[in-house]
Amino acid sequence: MSEREAEEESVFHKKLKIKLKEKGKEGRIILLKDYLDYLLRNNKTLPPDFPAFAREIMGLDDREGFIHVKIWHEKSELVEFIKAMNYEYKIDLYD
Amino acid sequence: MIDFFVGEALIGEEPEVAHIDLIIGKKDSSVGIAFANSLAQPRIGHTPILGVIRPNLPTKPSTLIVPKVTIRNLEDAEKIFGPAQSAVAKAIADAVEEGIIPKEQVEEFVIIVSVFIHPRGKDYQRIYRYNYAATKLALRRAMENFPNIDKVLEEKDKAIHGVIGFRINNLKKPPYLEVALDVPDWRRVEGIIRALPRSDAIIIEAGTPLIKRYGVEVVQKIHQLRPESVVIADLKTLDTGNLEARIAGDATADIISFSGLAPINTMEKFMEECKKIGALSLMDTINVPNPVEILKKLRIKPDIVELHRAIDVEHEEYAWGNIKEIKEICGNVLIAVAGGIRVSNVKNALKAGADIIVVGRAITAAKDVTGATRAFLQEMGVEEVDQFRVMTDF
Repeated sequence: MSEREAEEESVFHKKLKIKLKEKGKEGRIILLKDYLDYLLRNNKTLPPDFPAFAREIMGLDDREGFIHVKIWHEKSELVEFIKAMNYEYKIDLYD
Repeated sequence: MIDFFVGEALIGEEPEVAHIDLIIGKKDSSVGIAFANSLAQPRIGHTPILGVIRPNLPTKPSTLIVPKVTIRNLEDAEKIFGPAQSAVAKAIADAVEEGIIPKEQVEEFVIIVSVFIHPRGKDYQRIYRYNYAATKLALRRAMENFPNIDKVLEEKDKAIHGVIGFRINNLKKPPYLEVALDVPDWRRVEGIIRALPRSDAIIIEAGTPLIKRYGVEVVQKIHQLRPESVVIADLKTLDTGNLEARIAGDATADIISFSGLAPINTMEKFMEECKKIGALSLMDTINVPNPVEILKKLRIKPDIVELHRAIDVEHEEYAWGNIKEIKEICGNVLIAVAGGIRVSNVKNALKAGADIIVVGRAITAAKDVTGATRAFLQEMGVEEVDQFRVMTDF
């Protein structure tokens, strides 16, 4: 990690812990389907990082049923989606 | 000689809110012709009716009421034939009594009033009172030619349309703070945008690395988060000027940048395309040895010129080039300055003639993005547009 990256890592990001509705690959696919459904039904422009986000979600380990996603704001679109679709979640400072 | 007068007024609260558009003119004018034609040729759902205070008592001047919203059933029709019709008619008669319309001319004039009744409006008291007030106000405004052009020009950059919820900022009141989002990570960028204070003085730059990673569509996503903000697509176009400008314009960019290193023909096509699509053009001068010479060669000039201070000279108090000469060549141009700007040297940049202060990591990498942005705005002496105006006078 370069000095610049280290400096950026110290900024205000947080950890969004999302409880998957089903275990394994199926739970991740449901999460992505729900996210897409939420965005389209609410006439929201797709996030530009959606392909990268899908790859990230499919590749994340779950910890006691939760996957941990990095966010930079407690009112991010991802949090709005998780709340709207009744996912169990927690937001922690990144450790 | 003026053929007719036009008035508009909006009064009340939803869903009974009244919105009146009206036109008043002499019977032998175009308004008289429209009056007769409308009455003789009713349209389904928008049948014009004469304004009557009560049945068998039409108001004067003779008035035609046209429903704006399609009448779909008897319930809708009852609102127009009942409270709206009598309110409009009474307002016009009262306007004569109050001298808004000269009494001796009532037989010379005709009025066409377009009435909005929301299908969900139920309260007849409110429909009546709102439409009465809105008609009288619209009539007074019509006869006074309100608003005059000076009022329109004064208010146009302050106004926010209730339905749209934001206004187009055409950068008429510098200085502005341009926050350059060069971080190629969307979730981080979203966090930064949400942490930026709401201010008309902030311009959001979709930086070149961000656009290279996600495509220019990222601009539209930024606008979704901040509809009121001016967003720059920092393309730094070098070739296919009109094509790239069009692509960024389609993605809702307000300002689009091209490189001052591009061929003259490319730059001119780029700027022409920007004018076509209603965006501002920005000439980026990174690595351009002599921006003044390039600007002199251009048949049309950019709306904004962005000057960069080389990193090697960032310690010097002022090193952005000849701002005064650029302004003389380009006329009505804004100058943006970038490169190592901190809160401590903002005033120097403004003193040198800068209109836009470009700040990147001093804000985007700050632990407190909101606080860092506010510190810049404060140093720039920026006030919100009309932040002290409690209510408009009309």
